Formats: sequence, structure tokens, C-alpha cells
Amino acid sequence: MQELLARLKALDPNASLALRIIACFDELVRGGVNIHGLLGAAASLAGCVAGYTGHESARTLRVSPSGQALKDGRADWRVGALEADGMTVWLERHGPAHVNDRMILERLALALAVRSGHQAEDPLRRLGDLLDADVDVEQRRATASKLGLVPRLRYRVASLPLFATWKQHRELLEDVVHTRLGPLHVCVLPAEVKHIDASPCGIGVATAIDDLHRSLATALVSLRLCSVPHVPVVVADDYGGLIDLLAQCSIDRPLLDVEELEGVMQHAWAVQTLDALLRSASIRDASRIAGVHHSTMQARLETIRDLLSFDPLEGIGRTRVGLAFLAWRVRHSSALDLPPPTCR
Amino acid sequence: MPGPVVPSVLQRSCLRTRRISPFRRGPAAYLQAQPGREQTFLKMHRMNQRILGNLRALDPQARRDRPAFDPELRAGLAIVGGMFPPTVTSDLIDFMRVSYAGPALDTLIGGRSIRCEERVFEGYGGHELKASVFRHEQASGRRPGVLFVHSGGLMFGDRFSGLDRMIDFVELLGVVLVSIEYRLAPEHRDPYPREDVYAALEWMASHAESLGVRLDRLLIAGASAGGGLAAGAALAARDRGGPRLCGQLLDYPMLDDRGLTKSTRQFDGIGVWDRVSNETGWNALLGDARGGPDVSVYAAPARATQHHDLPPAFLDVGSAEIFRDETVAYADALWNAGADAELHVWPGGFHAFDIFAPHTALSRGMIATRRAWMSRVLGD
Repeated sequence: MQELLARLKALDPNASLALRIIACFDELVRGGVNIHGLLGAAASLAGCVAGYTGHESARTLRVSPSGQALKDGRADWRVGALEADGMTVWLERHGPAHVNDRMILERLALALAVRSGHQAEDPLRRLGDLLDADVDVEQRRATASKLGLVPRLRYRVASLPLFATWKQHRELLEDVVHTRLGPLHVCVLPAEVKHIDASPCGIGVATAIDDLHRSLATALVSLRLCSVPHVPVVVADDYGGLIDLLAQCSIDRPLLDVEELEGVMQHAWAVQTLDALLRSASIRDASRIAGVHHSTMQARLETIRDLLSFDPLEGIGRTRVGLAFLAWRVRHSSALDLPPPTCR
Repeated sequence: MPGPVVPSVLQRSCLRTRRISPFRRGPAAYLQAQPGREQTFLKMHRMNQRILGNLRALDPQARRDRPAFDPELRAGLAIVGGMFPPTVTSDLIDFMRVSYAGPALDTLIGGRSIRCEERVFEGYGGHELKASVFRHEQASGRRPGVLFVHSGGLMFGDRFSGLDRMIDFVELLGVVLVSIEYRLAPEHRDPYPREDVYAALEWMASHAESLGVRLDRLLIAGASAGGGLAAGAALAARDRGGPRLCGQLLDYPMLDDRGLTKSTRQFDGIGVWDRVSNETGWNALLGDARGGPDVSVYAAPARATQHHDLPPAFLDVGSAEIFRDETVAYADALWNAGADAELHVWPGGFHAFDIFAPHTALSRGMIATRRAWMSRVLGD
């Protein structure tokens, strides 16, 4: 993994490696990985031996970057030893410490503390609590005030993949938060901020502090509506109630009109054509937006009519196809897939 | 088994009260409405068949049922922030050829007492191909021989790709390791890749003395696409009375061009090698023949019906990868024919996870288990 970290840095110098290291240890803790595994991950990330000694148990374990437990014995070239929660952790490296060593050791120490039952949670990180409806509302309010949020103001949540490309990364209230889409980069913004210079990025609706979990839910749908490079940022406000609706339903379960639309979407022209049809009042308008001849648009519409059990341009059919198309885009989103390396 | 999507589309369009297009009413109705347009009908029909195939393959239920990745592997994925492209399409072949090139020789050997010698052998049709021969510096006399067939989805990779783990056996067991180039698809379709591999096996046996290889301990090994080719060469060696093998090491092998298993549908757009990548690979090798009746068992060993008299097999695979079901099925077929086979399915492992994150408990388990078998079959 050390090689991966180095390669990542070479590919994308702006990569937020610190967040990725946090996410890495989050996954290890969530997965109940043992001390050997935690040290193995740290060693693999740092590219050198990682070790720990429990003060109470007097147990020492040293693990190599290939995950092998080494024979006991103290190394002379420890760098950046860290004492915390009744233990000492260190990396064994010749020469000066590397940029990420400190971060790796901090996260390792916290993960070890949780694993050893010394500490139930991470005192430095509370953003996840703030966005979790299952956490008591009084506790969420207290967390918000510790984070400097003002009770009477409204805020919105932005969500991004860990590999998002940032043009400019300002100081933000941000963290890695575990969502049902996996660990994501999450920021809390004042309600008036509706843009982040990063791609892909979903920005949720503005809510009061008590309802920030709803802002997160709409931010996740917005993120899944992104399609790099054409749609780098989606703001939930632009879709109003539609995004709220999608945020509250299980899009990956079978949905009537969406299943029918799957057949249409197998055609290479489907996304562009439906988008044009939905954004226009007539077929002539639609062909202009899509940049195709009127007869081509007419033929495609015939194919769509053949595959659907309703007319997508008549009466309620328009709403049905519009909502189904939006749900289809969320379901088949590639915003969270690492972009093909040719693009980087 | 079609997913729930297909009946819903078809049934609902039949229930429709709207005008049904002549195309939907079949060739006779269509040709009556559009005289002389047989070719257009066929074209549209083929496209619809392809769409139906794609819809079946989407199988949302299969995707919901898929096993989760192992936590340590998930942590590794958080570092790369996702995955290197799970879906390899034909336009990515050139990129993959560059990025998947094997490491430099120095890195591979890493200061160990291993010598590398470059040799040339005659591939299919007499074409000259390269082979790298690795042996321990202290080795004397004739040693067990391993023929290694590299990975790379039949389209990329070279004789140094994924060799890290194999080269360990030169040091651990003193084997002579021969890693070969075989010609790649789509430039070289079937039978080139598999017949190049078979030619290498015959060359290794006929040059056993100059290579310093013991003929009673000759083993073929391969990973992923190389695993499929290795299994194919073992079948061919049996059928053609070729070199006698003492074992076949098949790491997460690519055995089946038909893509019909549930695991193939479970990991669509996720993991290191998904259904579409697999189709890209098989299409490159077989073209229109993929999935049809005319594919050789040596190219797609999952199609073999005779599993007797094969060398002892070792198969390993992750539970969270598309090759899971075909690997399990191959081991099962071997047992049913009374063959010797050892199968390990590593829970939550994605394709080639031991290369991606060798430090994890799952990878160490896989590597140690593989070593134990190799030592049993090849060791002194």
C-alpha cells in the first residue's frame, strides 16, 4: 500500500492523503480488525516496521510492511514515537520522518485504543455524530456548538468521494464520515455557500442544525447525480422536492417505471435524448438541444415509446419519465467510481 | 435465470393498449410494412437480443446478494479512494498495457541470490518468443521446474507481471522458474495464446537438461488469465500425450468464456475485474465465437467434460470476485472425476487481493497456504 500511496501522490499532488489515512483506519476499526492487522496497515502505509508496547500488559508487537510479526527486540531507529492511552506506538525508519508519519501514528494509536477497549470513540472527530439522526438531539446540539456552529443559523452539507479533485481547498469544517455509500469526504457549509471548487461534489439542501442529517441525505443523492466532467457539482436546491423524495426512497430496490426505463437506457443515445426531451417543450426543441436532426429525434422517441408502457410526452407520462430518469441516474451513478486513469 | 427486469419490460409492453409497432409483431409483419428491409430487421433484432442479454446480466438481485469485501481490504481501498478501473473496455487496452507492465528485474530479485537468464523458445507456428529463467545461485544439479503463465486478462501483462510471489519459490524451494511471453489478444486471437503456452511446456520438457529441470517434478502455474491458460495446457498435455506434470497451480483462474455464473453478475462495476472486463478479454481472444458452441476446452477449460488423469490441482479464489463460481465448479468437476484437487475460497477477497494488499491477514493466509501446497508437491 505504501507503493499505492506514493503512486497516488505522483498522480495527484493535491490528493487529500490525510483524509484517506483517516478513512483507512476507520474501516479497520469498523471491521473489528485486530492489533496485528492495525500495525500491518500502519507499516504498509509507512513502508517501514510499525510497533507498539502496551504499558499495562507490557506486550510489544512489531509488524513489517508485508504484515509479518517480527521477533521482539527494540529497534534503535524509531521515529516519532507517540505515547497515548497507556501505550507507545512508533515507526522504525532510518533517516528523517516522512510527511504522513505523524498522521499514521495518530490514527494507529486511536485505533489501538478502541481495539483495546480504552476508548469508545475518537475525541477529535464529531462531524459524523452531528449528521446522524440516531444520535440524541441534545448531544448533536452540544457537538454543533463545540464545532462553532450558531444555533439559529442554517447550514448545508457537501459530500465528495475521497478521490475528488480540488481546484482550491480552503479551510473547511470537514471530515471523513461513514455513509451507506462507504467512507466519504463530508463538509458542513453556511447556508449561503452553494459552491465548492471540487469535482465531483454534491451539495445538500440548507437545514437547521437539528436536521443536518437530511441535508446529508440530499447531498448524497446530489453527489450521485454528478457525472464528471460534464456535471462536476450538483446542488440539491436545483431539484427541490425531487431530490428530497429520492433521498427518502430505496433507489436500488425495484421501482416500476425505472425498471422499464432500463431497456431504453441500453441505447447509447438514451441519456442525451431523454435529457433533451425533458428540458424542452417540443420535439423540435429537443432535437435542437440534443443537436440531432428532427427525424432522428422522432425515430428515437418512437423507440422509447415502443419500450415503455406509457407515452413519455403525454400528461402524467412526462412526470413519470422525468422522475424515473432521475432515479435511473442515481442508481447507475459512476460518481463514486474511481475515474479511469487515462483521465488523470 | 433472467432477473426481474426482463419479464417486467416484456410483459408490460404486451399489456399495452397503444399501437404495437410492426417490428414487435415479428418478421412477417415487419416485412409486410417495410418490404425488402430484411437486413434492417436482422440488425434491429440483433440489437434487441444484445440489449436483453445486457438486461439479464444487470441482475440487480445478484448485486444486492454479493459478499462484502474483507475489512482490511476495504481499508486498502479507502487509500486509493475507490478502485483502479473495475471495468476494462477495449479502449483501455493500450493504457493497461503500459500500467500493467511488470516491475524491473532488480526490483523483482531484490538483492536475493537469484540469477536470471534470458532464453528464446519457439511458440505456435515456430515464432520466436522470450522466456526468463530464474534459478538459485547455489542450485546445483537438476531441480524441480515451474512454468509460469502471467496474468493480464489475455490482453496485457508481460512475463514479469505478478511474478513477485512466484519468484519466492526459487528461494524457498530451489525451483527453476520459467516465465514466458505468450502472444496477446486481440492482435493474436485463439489459438495463439494457448498454443504459445503449450509450446513453452514442450520446450521446457525437451530442454530439461540444459535448463537443469527435473522431468519428474514439472509443474505449470498461472494467475487469472494465466491460470486459465495453465489449466488448458494441462488438459492439452493429457490429451496429446505431452509432458507429464506433477501439479497445476491455478490462482483465481479465468476459465469460462460464457459468463453465466452468479458471481459474474454479482460484481458488475465493482472489484478489480468485473463482468464487462471479462467480456472484453474473452471477446479479444475469441471474437464472435465467445459463448458459442465452437470454443476449445484448451482456451476455456470450464467447458471440459473429461477431468480424469489430470495432475493434482491447487485452486484459490476470493469469495467477492467474478471467478469464484467457475473456480469452485472446476475443483468440483476434478473431484467428481477422482482427480486430486485442493480448493481455497478466501472470504471477502476480491480478484488478486494478495497482490493489492499482501500485508493483510487474508493475503498472508492465501500466500502461506499456497506455499504449503507448493512445498508438498515440489519441495525436496
